[in-house]
Amino acid sequence: MTRAARFWRSREGALVLPALVFYVLVYVYPLSRIAGWSFFDPDFTLKFYREVLAEPAYFKALGNTLEISVLVTLTSLLLGYPLAYLMTTTTARARRVVTVLILVPFWTSVLVRTFAWLVILGRNGLVNRLLLDVGLVDAPQKLLFNMFGVQVGMVQVLLPFMVFPLYGVMSRIDLNVVRVARSLGAPPRKVFLHVFLPLSMPGVAAGCILVFLLAIGFYVTPALLGGPGQITLATMIDMMITTFLNFGFAATLGIVLLVVVAGIFAAVSALLGLNRIVGGGSAQ
Amino acid sequence: MKRREILKSAGIVTAAALTGPFFHVRPARADQGELVVVSWGGDYDTALREYVLSAFERATGFTVKLDAPPETAKVKAMVQSGKVSWDVIMTDTPAVQALVKDNLLEPIDYAAVDKAKLARIPRELQQPYALGQRIYSFNIVYNTNLMPKAKHTRNWAEVWDAKNFPGGRTFNFQGGTAPQLEAALLADGVPVDKLYPLDIERAWRMMDKLRPIVTKWYTSHAQAIQLLSAGEVAVGNTIGPRGIAAKKQGAPIDVEYNQGKLASDNWCLVKGVRNKKIAMEFINTALDPKMQAQIAQKVPYGPSNTGAFEFLSAQEAADLATSPENIKQQFWWNTDWWSTPGPDGKTPRESQGERFAKWMLS
Repeated sequence: MTRAARFWRSREGALVLPALVFYVLVYVYPLSRIAGWSFFDPDFTLKFYREVLAEPAYFKALGNTLEISVLVTLTSLLLGYPLAYLMTTTTARARRVVTVLILVPFWTSVLVRTFAWLVILGRNGLVNRLLLDVGLVDAPQKLLFNMFGVQVGMVQVLLPFMVFPLYGVMSRIDLNVVRVARSLGAPPRKVFLHVFLPLSMPGVAAGCILVFLLAIGFYVTPALLGGPGQITLATMIDMMITTFLNFGFAATLGIVLLVVVAGIFAAVSALLGLNRIVGGGSAQ
Repeated sequence: MKRREILKSAGIVTAAALTGPFFHVRPARADQGELVVVSWGGDYDTALREYVLSAFERATGFTVKLDAPPETAKVKAMVQSGKVSWDVIMTDTPAVQALVKDNLLEPIDYAAVDKAKLARIPRELQQPYALGQRIYSFNIVYNTNLMPKAKHTRNWAEVWDAKNFPGGRTFNFQGGTAPQLEAALLADGVPVDKLYPLDIERAWRMMDKLRPIVTKWYTSHAQAIQLLSAGEVAVGNTIGPRGIAAKKQGAPIDVEYNQGKLASDNWCLVKGVRNKKIAMEFINTALDPKMQAQIAQKVPYGPSNTGAFEFLSAQEAADLATSPENIKQQFWWNTDWWSTPGPDGKTPRESQGERFAKWMLS
């Protein structure tokens, strides 16, 4: 019996099989169809790829997409890390309250939440009214249809995806290690930098990867809250399909995005050691 | 739209599965005695049912089933598979052209329409495969708080002039609507009768000038109305009847008809329509001036039969694209120009749409 055959007869094989079948049906198969569209029209052709590579506009859209996603990831990390730290160190009761507060927005659809920002951040919106009334500004500030609006809208949606992986890792850090460092005379800043932060890194990596990947595919929020500087590749794909009925070209843009993201992923894992990050949920 | 489709078909499948053993489930279109009419749904369909469908059903004994929306791809799938369940559709001119190109429509039988009605319908709306029903236009729509009625932008040149008419602008991008090159050329002083064929390069130079004053390139006409109602922008280019509908609900919005681009939703017969005679009878009924007036009182689209204005007050007429006063200030969108392929095989609709996306990203 070959090793592969032995694997599928083993307990592990049986456990993996249902997920594998599902994954092949709803992910691998449709994806291969889309990859097919990008190479055939109806015979094999590279014309879609040539067209994409020859057109600076698509690089600009790709650049916009990556810029938005990196910024959203960093902002989510800056806001999410202290939150996860609070959840780790506070009482069980307070932790429940914080968890509920983070989860409540999940009950509302992204579209509705995005529309709400139009009301809150608008020229005559709550924020501008407040700024004007308090006298901090003397004309309404432009908070929408630019990078700021997109960041606010997306971070608000994606923050939980940063907080929960962080909390998952932090909650398993043995706080006795921290106490030992303190009792040996290390100042709090040093304890954090040399003990807690390194131990929480797997959570940082998991949260960042999750948020970044979700941000890459965001469509509604940049389209509604962004300006021309925030036209993403997802927007271009939508236009290719709905306006021009050009499925081959849309598929090509999708594959290009996939390859770029896979490349980034490979580079990051080579740099940080992905096995440690993904496999290393525990902080040991 | 798509999701509703999926839910609907999922519902039908479930219903069919549940009732299958007990009932013979019939397709949407019955044999004789039923006509399936497909429109865009919403308030307009409600008014259509109330005024046209009821009268038609009483007069002919046929029942009319309304469906929505008239997706081009669906018509194509129906005709090609030979299972045509739609008889009459109402759709916009670009869709009509796409359908005609693929030979998916039946010609309109003009002999079956009352001569008196045809005499009152603008010539532009009487096409071989399409007969106009409701008219809208791409207008200057403005916020009345930011631009008081006495000092609002009255033509596209003034919309382009942010110095004398301050405030943000909103124009379409995405959503399938072509770039507003006609408005750009009118803003540059091109006379309406010299508009087509469009001077494309000149139009894009004017688009360059518009760009800095656009607050938001809207993705849907609904978003344009939201931006205008909220005072996010002072003025924009969007569908007039939507602005009027918002105004009637109390939004600080009004419509300037001068230099508006007129467009139509038209009745068409799907290829393979089972009872062409009764389908034409339905279209003939829908063109009734009084019924069109009653619909216009509920939903502010311009009636295609100008005879309708004899049943409408001056105040009601003022808010409709086809009133004698408004129609003469506007021009008909030349959809033939937009759909005639150039040397590269692409129609201006395609090539200018692509240029629009690249321009936006440049």
